Amino acid sequence: MGNMTALHRWSIAAIVATGLCILILNLAVGALKPAADIAWLDIAGEGGAALLSLMWTFFIFNSRPAGWVTRLLSGGLAFIFFSYWQDVLDEFIQLPAHVHWDHWVESGSMPLGMILLTLGIYHWHREQRAINRQLLKRERIFREHRSFDALTPLSDARYLREQLALELQHTQQPVSLIMIDLDCFDHSRRLLGSADGDRLLRELSELLVLNLRQKDLLCRYAGDRFAVVLPATERLIAENLGRELKQAADHFAFKTRRGETHRVTVHTGLAVSHHDSADSLIERANRCLLQSRSGQPRVA
Amino acid sequence: MNGYLADQAFIPAHHQPAVLIDLIHDQGIDLNRLLRHTGLFQEQILSGEARLSPHGWLQLIHNARRLLPDPELSFRYGQRLFPGHYGAISALLGNAGNLHDALQVFTGFSKLVFPLLGARLTVTDQHLCLHWLDSCGNGSEHRFVVEAAMAGLASVTRWLSGERLPWAFQFRHARPSYPEQYQVHLGDTLYFDGQLDAMILPRHYLESPWPGASTIAWRAAKQQCQPQLDPLAGGDSFRLYLYRQLLQNVASPPSLQQLANPLQCSPATLKRRLRDQGCHYQQLLDQARLHQAIHWLQFHGYSTEQVARQLNFTDSTNFRRSFKRWSGLTPAACQRALAATMGSLYPA
Repeated sequence: MGNMTALHRWSIAAIVATGLCILILNLAVGALKPAADIAWLDIAGEGGAALLSLMWTFFIFNSRPAGWVTRLLSGGLAFIFFSYWQDVLDEFIQLPAHVHWDHWVESGSMPLGMILLTLGIYHWHREQRAINRQLLKRERIFREHRSFDALTPLSDARYLREQLALELQHTQQPVSLIMIDLDCFDHSRRLLGSADGDRLLRELSELLVLNLRQKDLLCRYAGDRFAVVLPATERLIAENLGRELKQAADHFAFKTRRGETHRVTVHTGLAVSHHDSADSLIERANRCLLQSRSGQPRVA
Repeated sequence: MNGYLADQAFIPAHHQPAVLIDLIHDQGIDLNRLLRHTGLFQEQILSGEARLSPHGWLQLIHNARRLLPDPELSFRYGQRLFPGHYGAISALLGNAGNLHDALQVFTGFSKLVFPLLGARLTVTDQHLCLHWLDSCGNGSEHRFVVEAAMAGLASVTRWLSGERLPWAFQFRHARPSYPEQYQVHLGDTLYFDGQLDAMILPRHYLESPWPGASTIAWRAAKQQCQPQLDPLAGGDSFRLYLYRQLLQNVASPPSLQQLANPLQCSPATLKRRLRDQGCHYQQLLDQARLHQAIHWLQFHGYSTEQVARQLNFTDSTNFRRSFKRWSGLTPAACQRALAATMGSLYPA
C-alpha cells in the first residue's frame, strides 16, 4: 500500500474549498487594513497554528484508511483550522460592524472541532484495542514492524527466533514448537497461479490463527512453512494442538478466483524444548516435519 | 563478437525481467521506482519492443531488492521463471523428455533461457553435477541470481518430472542469515562456503522419462532456438566463451595473445573487453584450473598428485600452493569437504 492520500481526495478538496470560501467571503464584504494596523506578531502566532492544524489533518489522511475514526479526527482538525484561518484573515481584513458570521466561524468552529477530535481520539483508542486483540496471536508482547512478513500478516523467521529465545530464557516450563508445511505447494502454486497461491497462504494463516490459544504465536517460517510457538506447553497438549491444526487445515476448502475449491493437506512436526537453544529447537521440529512427510504416501 | 556482452541489449524485457516486475507490482510497489536507471519505460515493455542488457537486468534486480528487502524475493522469482513464456525456448524446456533434455537447455541455450548464468554439466558413473557460472559479472547481485536460478531449476524439474528430486546444493557464499529460505525452497542438503555454485543429483535421475513431453515439439523448438545462438560461442556469453576455451585446454592453456588471435583483436583490446565483463585473463584462467581440479577431485576420484600431473604442474607442492591461492583451501581439505557433500547423497 503506497499512499493513503488518494483515498481521501474528496475530503481534502472539501477542506480546501471551505478555506477558499471563507477567504472569498471575507474579501467580498470586508476591506483590506492599512499596513500600519497589521499586528505581525498575532499573524505569526495564529498563522502558525492554522498551518500546523492543516498539517496534522494531512498526516491523518496520509496514514489512515477511510472510515469513521478517520472522518472524526480529520473533521475535528479541519474545524480547528477554519477557526484559526478566520482569525488570521481578521488581521488583514476589516469587516463591517453589522457582519456577525465571522464570529461564528471563529468561535463556533473551535469547540465543534475540539468535540469531534475528542470523539475521534476516543474511538481511535477503542479501534487500537480491537487491532491489538487481532494481532495478539501474531505478535505476542513485542511489536517490531521490521519483522513483518511481506506476504502474510504474520511475522517472519527472524522474529520467531527472537521470541523463541526469549521464551526459552524466561521460563522453566517446556516450550513446544510446531512446524506446519503444505503438501506439494509448489504444484498448487503452478496450478492456481501466483496471485491465488499467495492468497492461499494468507487465508491459511488466518485459519491457523483461529485455532490457537491466546498465548500462542504463529509466524511464517519461509515459503509454505509456518511455525507455532506454544509457551509453557507439555508434549501431550502440544500434540493435541498440532492435531487440531492439521484437522483444521485438512478441512480448509480454499476457493480460487474462479470459485473452484482447492483442497490442501499439511504435515506437522513437533519439538518440545529440553534445554535447547532456539536454533536447535527449530531444527528438531523441522526434522520431525520431514519424517512425517516422507512417511506419508505422495499426493501428486 | 563471440558471445553476448554485459551491456548488449538483447533480452526482451517482457520475458524473464517482466516476471520480476510482475512480482514487485503484486506487492503494490510503484513501477517507476522499480524501473529507475534501467532505461525501461512501462509502455515500452507492454509493446513488446523493449530490450534489456544483462547489466540493465542486474540494475532491475538491484532496485527490486532495495524496494522489497525480503530474503524470499529471489526464491519466489526463481519459482516463477521457468518454463515461462519466452517463445521457443520455453517450449523446448516444457517438452523436455527427461532431466538430461532439461539440463541441456541451461547448458546450451543460456543466452535464451537465463542469460545471467551459464551452466556446465558433468556426468560420472554415479552423479550428475550442474555447475552455475557467472556470465556477465553479476557482482553484488550474484547471490540473488544464483538463488533464483537454483530455485527455478529445482521447481521446474519437480513440476515437469512430477516428483521432488533430491538435489544437493553447494554454494560459494557463506551461510546467510536467512537459512530457512534455502531449507524450505530448495531442500535440506545444503553446503555453504564451497568452491562451486552447483546442484548435484544421483545419476539415475538423468535418463528416467518424464510424463507429458512431446518429442516432436521438443525437436521443432530446438530448430527454432538454434539460429538465435552465436555460431562460435553458442548460447554462451563472451566471458564464458573465453572461459570454455581455457577449460578445454586446461593442461596447456592459451595465452592472452592466443585467445585474441581468432577474435582478430589485439591483446590490449581483449583485456579491455574482459574488464567490461567484470573479469581479467588471470582470474578466468585460475577459475578454469580450479574448477577442473575440483571436478577431478570430486567426481573422478583423482588424487592430488594425479590432478597436479593433469594440470601440468612440475610437482605437487607447487600445485598445492596454487590451489590454496585459488580457493583458500589445501586440496586435501577441499577433498574432505567434497567427500562430506557427496557422502550425504548416498547415506550408508
